[in-house]
Amino acid sequence: MSQIEIKVPTVGESITEVTIGSWVKKDGESVKRDEVICSLDSDKASFDVVSEADGVLRVKAQEGDVLPIGGLICVIETSAEAASAPASTPAPVASAPAPVAAASVAPATAAKIVEMKVPTVGESVTEVTIASWNKKDGDTVQLDEVLCELESDKATFELPAEAAGVLRIVAEAGSTLSIGAVICKIEVGAGSAAASAPVAEAPQSNGQAVTANASNDSYAAGHPSPAAAKILAEKGINPASVAGSGVGGRLTKEDAIAAQPQTAPKPTPAEQPKAPVAAPAAPAPAPKAADARGQRRVKMTSLRKTIARRLVAVKNETAMLTTFNEVDMKPIMELRNKYKDKFKEKHGVGLGFMSFFTRACAVALQEFPVVNAFIDGDEVVYNDFSDISIAVSTERGLVVPVIRNAEKMTFSQIEKEIIRLAGLARDNKLTIDQMQGGTFTITNGGIFGSMLSTPIINAPQAAILGMHNIVERAVVVNGEIVIRPIMYVALSYDHRTIDGRDSVSFLVRVKQLLEDPTRLLLEV
Amino acid sequence: MQYDVIVIGSGPGGYICAIRCAQLGLKTAIIEKYKTLGGTCLNVGCIPSKALLDSSEHYYNASHTFAEHGIQLENLKVDLAQMIARKSEVVSQVCKGVEFLMKKNKIDVYQGLGSFVDKNTVKVTKEGGDIEMITSKNIVIATGSKPSSLPGVTIDKKRIITSTEALQLNEIPKHLIVIGAGVIGAELGSVYARIGAKVSFVEYASAMIPTMDATMGKELQRTVKKLGADFYFSHKVKTVENTGDEVIVTAENPKGELVTFTGDYCLMSVGRKPYTDGLALENAGLVADQRGKIEVDEHTLQTKVPNIYAIGDVIRGAMLAHKAEEEGVFVAETIVGQKPHINYLLIPNVVYTWPEVAGVGYTEDELKAKGIAYKTGSFPFKALGRARASMDIDGTVKVLAHKETDEILGAHIIGPRAADMIAEAVVAMEYRASAEDVSRMSHAHPTYTEAFKEACLAATGNRALNA
Repeated sequence: MSQIEIKVPTVGESITEVTIGSWVKKDGESVKRDEVICSLDSDKASFDVVSEADGVLRVKAQEGDVLPIGGLICVIETSAEAASAPASTPAPVASAPAPVAAASVAPATAAKIVEMKVPTVGESVTEVTIASWNKKDGDTVQLDEVLCELESDKATFELPAEAAGVLRIVAEAGSTLSIGAVICKIEVGAGSAAASAPVAEAPQSNGQAVTANASNDSYAAGHPSPAAAKILAEKGINPASVAGSGVGGRLTKEDAIAAQPQTAPKPTPAEQPKAPVAAPAAPAPAPKAADARGQRRVKMTSLRKTIARRLVAVKNETAMLTTFNEVDMKPIMELRNKYKDKFKEKHGVGLGFMSFFTRACAVALQEFPVVNAFIDGDEVVYNDFSDISIAVSTERGLVVPVIRNAEKMTFSQIEKEIIRLAGLARDNKLTIDQMQGGTFTITNGGIFGSMLSTPIINAPQAAILGMHNIVERAVVVNGEIVIRPIMYVALSYDHRTIDGRDSVSFLVRVKQLLEDPTRLLLEV
Repeated sequence: MQYDVIVIGSGPGGYICAIRCAQLGLKTAIIEKYKTLGGTCLNVGCIPSKALLDSSEHYYNASHTFAEHGIQLENLKVDLAQMIARKSEVVSQVCKGVEFLMKKNKIDVYQGLGSFVDKNTVKVTKEGGDIEMITSKNIVIATGSKPSSLPGVTIDKKRIITSTEALQLNEIPKHLIVIGAGVIGAELGSVYARIGAKVSFVEYASAMIPTMDATMGKELQRTVKKLGADFYFSHKVKTVENTGDEVIVTAENPKGELVTFTGDYCLMSVGRKPYTDGLALENAGLVADQRGKIEVDEHTLQTKVPNIYAIGDVIRGAMLAHKAEEEGVFVAETIVGQKPHINYLLIPNVVYTWPEVAGVGYTEDELKAKGIAYKTGSFPFKALGRARASMDIDGTVKVLAHKETDEILGAHIIGPRAADMIAEAVVAMEYRASAEDVSRMSHAHPTYTEAFKEACLAATGNRALNA
């Protein structure tokens, strides 16, 4: 028997305690994973608590009790008895004997149980979300086989099995766990249990299913054809997570083309059967109207939730404001047109605007060290190096890989580094180290067409430069109206440490360096 | 010029790599030291040797089997000059074909010696001494290999020759001494044995083609012996001397005694060594290992300088044209970010003697060493209608299957068109087919491939139908 404690989750930055609103389930009642068991009220909102596992509910806090974040709400007892509980519920009468048999066999033969916990993945990562399970509960897994994909706010990574045996999932896809929490258990030496499971299921289904099972047990089940192997590798899908439709469960090219990476959290098993029942009913009377006013609820990913929390925190905890300026891009564009072919020939990378901006910021940061500093408690930490974070938009959201020691890099080194990091970001391969420790950030909203915006600083950094689109504007130069390519630039900064003089001067300095790039060479 | 990819060497690995790069939209150049494209394979390897093998096989049949077929010939003789001329014509046509393919795919061809200036720049030194610099994001080394020799043996290219010279002799040797009874020795030795030369094989190992399944070596030896060849196994060659009209080979026999062989030609076929001369690897930050090979990452074929790749004979693995081709495609696709794969176990080995020898997967000895329980199914060609009809009754098919799962783990064929037939085994094994799977697939009758099905039946449960 094992127990899972359900505690008050972290629900928002400023919420420190909650009140138990009402219990949906009673003490001693059997609950299913993801079923709502009670509701909690905070000073801002009320929300539901769902069960993290199948089992029997043991209530620990009564309605009206006030609990701090992390306080114990209840315990779910998961065990052989608990697993058999569905038998007592009226619905699946016919299948009742099967799970009982399977469940009672499993613990009896399991020699040893290995608990797999969330590993420490990086200094600032405190929790991870289970993005997807590659294996199902009860599957037999091999040592080092990938069990599931974990997602933190900074990166995703795979969890390999620490032992061979039968997988018992503790935390479902979509659930968020803190470092050290139990993700699953592996019953070592439970080979016979696994074998007995399909047998126990057999009576439920008819003869056909047995045949199908037998062929899937082939030694070649899950073996991809050469073309399928290539397609799956390119999609980043583990062949073990795809069901093969070929002879003996082999993976055909078609299987590989149809396979989807399991990143989005799946609807809970409890909800799944309901959906199809409800759906046909609704469209019947007025399908078009229903379409027109459709709504979708998609659970926020861990990355999105963290971004949300961070952005709000920065707004709340810093004294952020923004200063603006405009940059005449003509000199850079001319320089670029003149040398871009030579530059590419020599260095093998294109000469973009980013290297100019990165260089200009690196120089200006050395001159205005407070812009390159951050607050740590009662102290201000000044950095002698300029590690510049570059915001890169990816399908999963914004990530900010860091260009280290930008102050020492040449234009070509910067361009190459940006290409390398952006490639890693797109392929979702950035490591946490590659995203940590920047001292200043550059973000370019111009690529999406932004004329002007006020970026939010990337805490704990003190400032961020926003680049925007380049538009030909009428400007006055030497008393004459001329057309020039102009980019508005914005510097958001933390006024707690950076005074207006420093921030404005910094941005003016960046403007100066960009409008006369020769200065970058001469360091004047 | 600035390229996405420069391929150095235009052998089957290099030119295929260049074509695949071009197909994927990469701006591609290829550098070839020699006047014709195609490398060893097309110029002095697979293609010319196969051309001669076929000619010699025709002659052999004309002199030995035509009478039984009911064809009478008088004054049959070998016109070696014409044989060599035809071979040269075949080579020239195939090389022109590669030239055409380069044009068709808009690949720039640089004729000259390519050498690294840095990791992105290659200097091409042309025949007249002109120099051109070209740069590229990625560079693929596909410089191949050269015949190797033994310590104490100098190849003079007159009487002490390599496979290159053996493809253009202007007389039939009276007594050809072949040092090394591996793939190349077996192929060229059997060519000259069939057109009338006395051939003696002197081999360090204890069997022919020692890297292949032991049954194949034994069967091959039996058929080559019928051509009148002699075999001296476990002999260690000490010296080879050209006395003007003769060559004298001195070797140590298994008892430790020195023995001498006298002939008019000596073919050194003791293998090949990776070739990187003149490449100036050090300028790119690379070095070849002790055996001349360039080290590459197992998963990407990148050298330790990430934008430089190496493929084919110049890296680890079997020195086979089709292995190099797979690697060429692999590298091109890897460069553009695709994730191809190569199953090295399933790259077939082929020997173009007659009968041909081909094998894929594990050999019986390898399975024993690995402790994998297996079962064997064999089927001799003499029991096959098609082989009877063509009088190609030498040889056998051997299938090795997993004892429990029946999965085919190895297939080894010696017999007519074995090199073509092995493709069926490769397809089956890529899909991890069992011996019974193949047994249950229809094979056209009468064909040589029925022998493979029969061997699979034998492996499945000792139930070959025609044995």
